[in-house]
Amino acid sequence: MRSSSSSTARQSFWKKLTGQQRDVTKSLGALIAIFIFASLLSPAASDGSNIFLQWGNLTDILRQVSIVGIISLGMNFVILTAGIDLSVGSILALSSTVVALLLTRWQPEMGYAAQISIAIGAALLISTASGALSGTIIAIFDVQPFVVTLAGMIGIRGLAKWLSSNANVDVGFGQDVASLFAAIFRGKPMIIGFYVVLAAIFSVLLGRTVFGRYVRAVGDNERASLYAGLPVRSVKLWVYSLSGLLAGFAGVLYAAENHQGNPNSGVGYELDAIAAVVIGGTQLSGGKGTIAGTIIGTLMIGVLTNMLRLNNVDSNVEMIVKGAIILFAVAVQKQGKDVR
Amino acid sequence: MPETILEMRGVEKRFDGVRAVHEASFSLAAGEVHALMGENGAGKSTLAKIVAGAVSADSGDIFVDGSPVTIRGPRDAQRLGIAMIYQELDLFPHLSVAENLVTGNDKFKEHGFVRPRDMDRFAEPVLRQVGLTCSPRSEVRSLSTGEKQLVSIAHALSMQARIILMDEPTSSLFDDAAERLFQVIAGLKQQGVAIVYVSHKMDEIFRICNRVTVMRDGETVGMRGIREVSPPDLIRMMIGHEWKPREREPVAPSGEVVLSFAGVTTGKLRDVSFELRQGEVVGVAGLLGSGRSEIGRALMGLDRCKRGKVWLRGRLSTIKSVADAFKMRIRWLPEDRKLDGLMMRMSIVENATISDLKRLSSMGFVDRLREREGALSCFQTLSLKSNSVTRAVGTLSGGNQQKVLLSRCLLGKPAILFLDDPTRGIDVGAKEDIYQIIGQLAAQGVGIIFVSSELPELLRFCDRILVMREGSIAADLDAGLTSQEEVLTCATQPPVSEAHA
Amino acid sequence: MRNQSAMRFLFLALLAGAAISCNRSNSASTPEGKHQFFVAFSQANNAEPYRAAQNDLMTKLFAAAGDVKLVIADAQQDNSKQVAQVETFIRQRPDLLIVAPNERAALTAVMGEAMEQKIPVICLERDILQPNYTTLVRSDNVEIGRMAGNFIRDYLVAKYKQPKGNVVEIQGLLGVEAAINRHKGAAEVLQEYPDIKIVADPVADWIQARAKDRMTEVLRAQPSIDVVYAHNDPMAVGAYLAAKELGREREMIFVGVDGLGGPAGGIKKVQDRILAATFVYPLCVDKTVEIALKILRDPTFHPDKEYTVAPQLVTPSNAAQLYQQSTVTP
Repeated sequence: MRSSSSSTARQSFWKKLTGQQRDVTKSLGALIAIFIFASLLSPAASDGSNIFLQWGNLTDILRQVSIVGIISLGMNFVILTAGIDLSVGSILALSSTVVALLLTRWQPEMGYAAQISIAIGAALLISTASGALSGTIIAIFDVQPFVVTLAGMIGIRGLAKWLSSNANVDVGFGQDVASLFAAIFRGKPMIIGFYVVLAAIFSVLLGRTVFGRYVRAVGDNERASLYAGLPVRSVKLWVYSLSGLLAGFAGVLYAAENHQGNPNSGVGYELDAIAAVVIGGTQLSGGKGTIAGTIIGTLMIGVLTNMLRLNNVDSNVEMIVKGAIILFAVAVQKQGKDVR
Repeated sequence: MPETILEMRGVEKRFDGVRAVHEASFSLAAGEVHALMGENGAGKSTLAKIVAGAVSADSGDIFVDGSPVTIRGPRDAQRLGIAMIYQELDLFPHLSVAENLVTGNDKFKEHGFVRPRDMDRFAEPVLRQVGLTCSPRSEVRSLSTGEKQLVSIAHALSMQARIILMDEPTSSLFDDAAERLFQVIAGLKQQGVAIVYVSHKMDEIFRICNRVTVMRDGETVGMRGIREVSPPDLIRMMIGHEWKPREREPVAPSGEVVLSFAGVTTGKLRDVSFELRQGEVVGVAGLLGSGRSEIGRALMGLDRCKRGKVWLRGRLSTIKSVADAFKMRIRWLPEDRKLDGLMMRMSIVENATISDLKRLSSMGFVDRLREREGALSCFQTLSLKSNSVTRAVGTLSGGNQQKVLLSRCLLGKPAILFLDDPTRGIDVGAKEDIYQIIGQLAAQGVGIIFVSSELPELLRFCDRILVMREGSIAADLDAGLTSQEEVLTCATQPPVSEAHA
Repeated sequence: MRNQSAMRFLFLALLAGAAISCNRSNSASTPEGKHQFFVAFSQANNAEPYRAAQNDLMTKLFAAAGDVKLVIADAQQDNSKQVAQVETFIRQRPDLLIVAPNERAALTAVMGEAMEQKIPVICLERDILQPNYTTLVRSDNVEIGRMAGNFIRDYLVAKYKQPKGNVVEIQGLLGVEAAINRHKGAAEVLQEYPDIKIVADPVADWIQARAKDRMTEVLRAQPSIDVVYAHNDPMAVGAYLAAKELGREREMIFVGVDGLGGPAGGIKKVQDRILAATFVYPLCVDKTVEIALKILRDPTFHPDKEYTVAPQLVTPSNAAQLYQQSTVTP
């Protein structure tokens, strides 16, 4: 008697969730399973404690995924409109280069705080502009996002390399403005904090605002959105601009973390971001997906990678495992589509 | 007595629970041209597609040359010697004529590498048979529509088809291409090939067909020899003898003119002029492709007016986009609710409110409470019942989906409403609900344009009926005084009708 | 329904696969009985032949020691990856951490963390921005640069009876200590001679194919070149190939750095007269392992802050002999 009533209670709870919420719960379940698995497989430290579960290790994982995680937030929006942004890795490189250049090669007559603010502002501005450029061509001239952002990927990196003559711009450990910038922004709490705050903002943006609704609608059925009076072009433009802005953030943090503006950095980051988004349940065909899912996808990759590294598995195996997760996640989603 | 080459009995087919074909029967003799007639949605294309294997019947018996067969797909049909030429010719535009003939063709026996020479040799005889003089290597997209159609027929012949189904073959042909087609058909008749000719066009049917079968509401209501019957007889069979009483008394035009088209010409429309008054329901009838939906597109700013003007309450319309139209309180229901209307993966409430979110939000954040209230009150008006409003709209039945789209229109408190085939493919109960709301809206003063393929429906509700034909208005009829025959006649016959002369 | 359980099964299979690969790595080659020291080595990029040779020699020497378990991680030239790998090593608390930094600035902070965690750190071959290590083992790239400068000057004097000529310098990854100092040392010598001109200094990131492309561009722009000085042998060979394609390889000599042994190394290239000279840039691994074992076995041992291993000039006169001697196969 009791078991049946509790099972019906469970059933109606499950039914109350929307389809999206159900997907996120399933992904969360998978993440928890992987987490438990990783801690079981974790080697022991010399004092017998579980290395994986050490607070330092767990926060390491968070920090390691934060930069790609921030990029994934923007990528989530883009993919929700059934688009794609291949240029984010290059925008990261450009942003890191610009902020480093403005802090090392420019000596204006102003306080450190002002110079740092301007440097960061300039990096974010140029990143957003790059995204907006892609967005304009995609929205107004109706060119395929893959092609436009591919061109962006190549061109923007070229710009970054040109600005620094293909050299790395090192940020030191001294007392100068660049070192101060790095000291402020490189810490674990700062980087993880940025990720968390941006994730929260964008989660709200997607889930609770008119803009978020428009993004999902455009990805679900662009023509119907047009016929329903939605500002489709504007939505697309904003989405790519936001993607650029977030890649810019990631670039600034990268420069602080690595003490370096590097025009060759971020190669392949766009693929990692896409992987996180896809694993998290957002379909490439657009319309369906959540920020929560993307965060879970990001964490899944981070935990699995850490598990493999702690056990000293060859770093090339990491890539094989990553590929396997992606295929698996997509297969599960495809099956889920019919259940709807 | 020529032998029966094809026979069908008791064929059934449902799409999404709606009956497309019911208890249909059909027979075809070798060397005959047999017409298949009926209004839009009567089921004739579906029946033809069942024979061709493009659609599989739910139940029923099909006999070819007297033996029972099952046709599960186009290849089965091909093996039985059946070929179909579709209204939207399914050729590959950037392949050559010969390549088109050869693709998927069981009769072209080549393995591995295929040489152009072999394909030419295969293609030439059938091309000659249909009278095509172009080279087998010419790209299909460089041919005229008439030539493309002949290529389709050649394709059927190259598969050695003995039964050829043609779906509205002359709908996009002009005079001499149609003539060539008829000559080819005459030649095929002599060879004993049987042709099923799906069409609306009376003059053609009386010219080339031996027998005619009429369908109505998915049923085959009768078969006659062509000499035993006249066009009015056929029209009466297509319409049927049921006569629903008028639901609404036509309103005498008294309100102000809210919308007026004056000589509007767009890509598809030609010199369209009409007026819509407050509280009036104007129906739009006509064959598919006659320009009915294009009126809506012109109204909503999706198609540009090359000539002519659109007036809204006496002022020139400045509408350039759908959003502009919404600002002027004009709302519409596109023809294809799945492709053009709904966001399938979003919820019922989200779909209903998507066009009005700005109003239902504050500072960019959606006010979920107000949104829900607004949506639910519309749902109630439309008697839309759903156990959960967070379900994805793709899980609803057709009727309910249509109600969601209507809710979207209603939320905008429109002054003008353009409904494109709102009751297509939905069940009877939902239809009644929709009729009710239309009546209420008209009573409240909303001007409504109602496009439909169902004549009884138009006659029940509309004050006037515009009949479209090939992009222009063939007639502007008073719904209270006209009949289905008249409407259908205007839709199908050229204005100077020789058939009635 | 069936699909759901298939999915669950696949998921478990995936995890199992990961588990198995973890276990296999963990239980790799641990001889019984003795106490095993755990040495972690973070390598910048296994793909470079120089570094692959470092890995091989280090594996060999530590294996010979008998009481060391060595784990090598490959950062594939990605700073973030290397930082993450070092962080993970720190979690595992190795007895010794060896790092060959991919780039100076990026690795400085995390090596500092290792030091804070009381893990001894040997910084291998490349410097970082701050002395966050127990000891640095390197060779003197400035000295190599000087030796190269001298060699070039002597060659030009022999050719033109005076110190003049056109030199192309092909640089490695900018911002890396090796490139900076190999340039610095040579510049120190050559700037004394105003008639010896560096007519082009393209960057080829240590990669042979890139050097070939860059050299091709330079050849088109420069009508007369006497010496090509590349910061490593693969780039020198790339330049040679570019010149050969345009039929100009006899016009100039090619000088590289690294001097690895074996059929693909620089010594052989000198023997075969493709390179006029190279400089054996020691792997620094012998010294590293020597110091490492001392650190591991003797808790009272305090290493110097820096150890320098001397380079050696290779010319056709001693190439054959050095080739025989080279016990290292890249």
